[in-house]
Amino acid sequence: MTVTKPILLAEDNPRDAELALAAMEEYHLADKVILCHDGAEVLDYLYCRGQFKTRLQGNPAVVFLDLKMPKIDGLEVLRTIKGDTTLKPIPVVMLTSSREERDLVESYALGANAYVVKPVEFHQFLKAVKELGVFWGVINEPPPESAGKSAS
Amino acid sequence: MDSSHGQDLPAQEPTGQVQRASLNTAGTTIRSIWNRILREFQAWSIERRILVGFCLVFAGILVISAVSYRNMTVLLRNSHQDTRSHELIQLLIGMGIRLDEAEDGHRRYLVTGDESYLKPHEILKERVPEYLRYVRELTHEDPAQSERVELLDDLVQRQLDAERDAVALRRKTGFEGVRGIALAGVAKSELDAFHRIQTQMEQDENRSIHRRVIESAAMTRNTIVLLGTGGLLLFVLLASVYYLIRHDITERRRVAAELERRGELLGAANKELEAFSYSVSHDLRAPLRHIDGYASLLEKSTVHTLDDKAKRYLQTISESAKRMGQLIDDLLVFSRMGRQEMLHTHVDLDQLIKSVLHDLRPDLQQRDIAWAISALPEVKGDPAMLRQVFSNLISNAIKFTATRLAAAIEIGSDQRNPDEIVIFVRDNGVGFDMQYAGKLFGVFQRLHRADEFEGTGIGLANVRRIIHRHGGRTWAEGALGQGATFSVSLPTKR
Repeated sequence: MTVTKPILLAEDNPRDAELALAAMEEYHLADKVILCHDGAEVLDYLYCRGQFKTRLQGNPAVVFLDLKMPKIDGLEVLRTIKGDTTLKPIPVVMLTSSREERDLVESYALGANAYVVKPVEFHQFLKAVKELGVFWGVINEPPPESAGKSAS
Repeated sequence: MDSSHGQDLPAQEPTGQVQRASLNTAGTTIRSIWNRILREFQAWSIERRILVGFCLVFAGILVISAVSYRNMTVLLRNSHQDTRSHELIQLLIGMGIRLDEAEDGHRRYLVTGDESYLKPHEILKERVPEYLRYVRELTHEDPAQSERVELLDDLVQRQLDAERDAVALRRKTGFEGVRGIALAGVAKSELDAFHRIQTQMEQDENRSIHRRVIESAAMTRNTIVLLGTGGLLLFVLLASVYYLIRHDITERRRVAAELERRGELLGAANKELEAFSYSVSHDLRAPLRHIDGYASLLEKSTVHTLDDKAKRYLQTISESAKRMGQLIDDLLVFSRMGRQEMLHTHVDLDQLIKSVLHDLRPDLQQRDIAWAISALPEVKGDPAMLRQVFSNLISNAIKFTATRLAAAIEIGSDQRNPDEIVIFVRDNGVGFDMQYAGKLFGVFQRLHRADEFEGTGIGLANVRRIIHRHGGRTWAEGALGQGATFSVSLPTKR
């Protein structure tokens, strides 16, 4: 299994983050995960600023976005990503507790690539996170690094 | 009262009391009838009251018009007849004068032999037929007067004949031959009779005129009174109808305003509820996920060190968290069901039931159920919601017949009432005690222990909510151990 690009996980709740990481661990994806605790951090990472000023260049393989986050919420982050030509190709998966129709509608309208409701049951949560990680991090071929740049 | 009448008092009083009593009872009867009419009237719808009001006004106008028309006709007829009476009187007077002149002239002739005195006689003879024709025409409606006219005719003829004869005799024999009759005249008695009859006829006509004057005056008064009171009555009626309409409109406006206000309140409440359920779905689920997640992680990391009892505890923690998650999900679905926009299309129930059964295949494995599904009608409603209804009812039937060796489920419809379509799902399962029938459709109401039959108790609450939103009813019949029938009705017109 060759995973070259990192997986960006935006999760404000440390327990949820720990559970997600535990799930990723099963497929040895955990070390590829970069954890952000709010929307601002996600944008900092993507734009290589703040604490991520010195990180390696390049977009993550996928961004897992929670909807409800402090500072900048998931939908706002999604809007920024999909409104930026260099970030636009990054697959964004909404990973949230909300099953509300308006959240679904708005997420897809803003260009989310997938929408996953976190199951209450841990085994299902495990399965979902694992499958997501494997699909987006391993199976799915990410857009070439030049995709955004050539478009701009 | 005079003291001498004091003795009579005791005797009189009972009758007085009786009269008063009967008056009182009459009064109460009238009052009770009036009250009944009033009650009846109050029970009428506003449309009916207005219609009745307008009908009364219309009827009033008709009556007033008809009576006025009749009175007018009588007045016109009377005035016409008065003219005729006056003409008749004038004519009779004229005739009398002519007769007098003729009689007078012929006597002068008899005495003098001067032919010029016969001129009135000649004129009379010439005009008599015309006079009589006219008189007959004027009196042909009155038999008594007509009879008198015949007498007049006879008298005039006789006078003319007698005068003619006398004149002829005078010519033949000279004055000597008519000396006896010359001074008295030959038709004195006829003339007198004529004048007598003439007077009678005049008096008759005058009486008629008088009678008609009185009648006309009465008619005029009646008409004025009728127009006055009728007009007033109509005005009052119209005013009441106007009041009714105005009152109704004001009431409607008030209700509309009230509805609008309540709609706004409801909208605000709905918004709040939405925020609440959003927060429930988002925030309440996370701790549950953590409970289950950490319990699982704990179980995993201690799989070799924990004994069975401790493992069971962990299992219970996980299961409880899952169950609460299920309850929250169900509650959210239930809450959404009440707020969601409803579609209103034709729904083919046959197809719907088929697809529900298709989806329930996992539950039907290793089950032997005798299905009896009759052809179902097309209904109007929200397909997704109705699907939920039948999915719930059928999965209930499957669930509660699980303990039966020969399970039987029947789905059918009853369209005896044209206003609604009733669809029922009947099973021969464990049934229920009818005394709990009212609780069946409540939220989280369950009649069975969790370890008997699984479920959160939201299914029938959803059924009821959906059917109520469609304007229908839900009910259940059953007996312990003898199966149950769940029925829903959907109105045919909405």
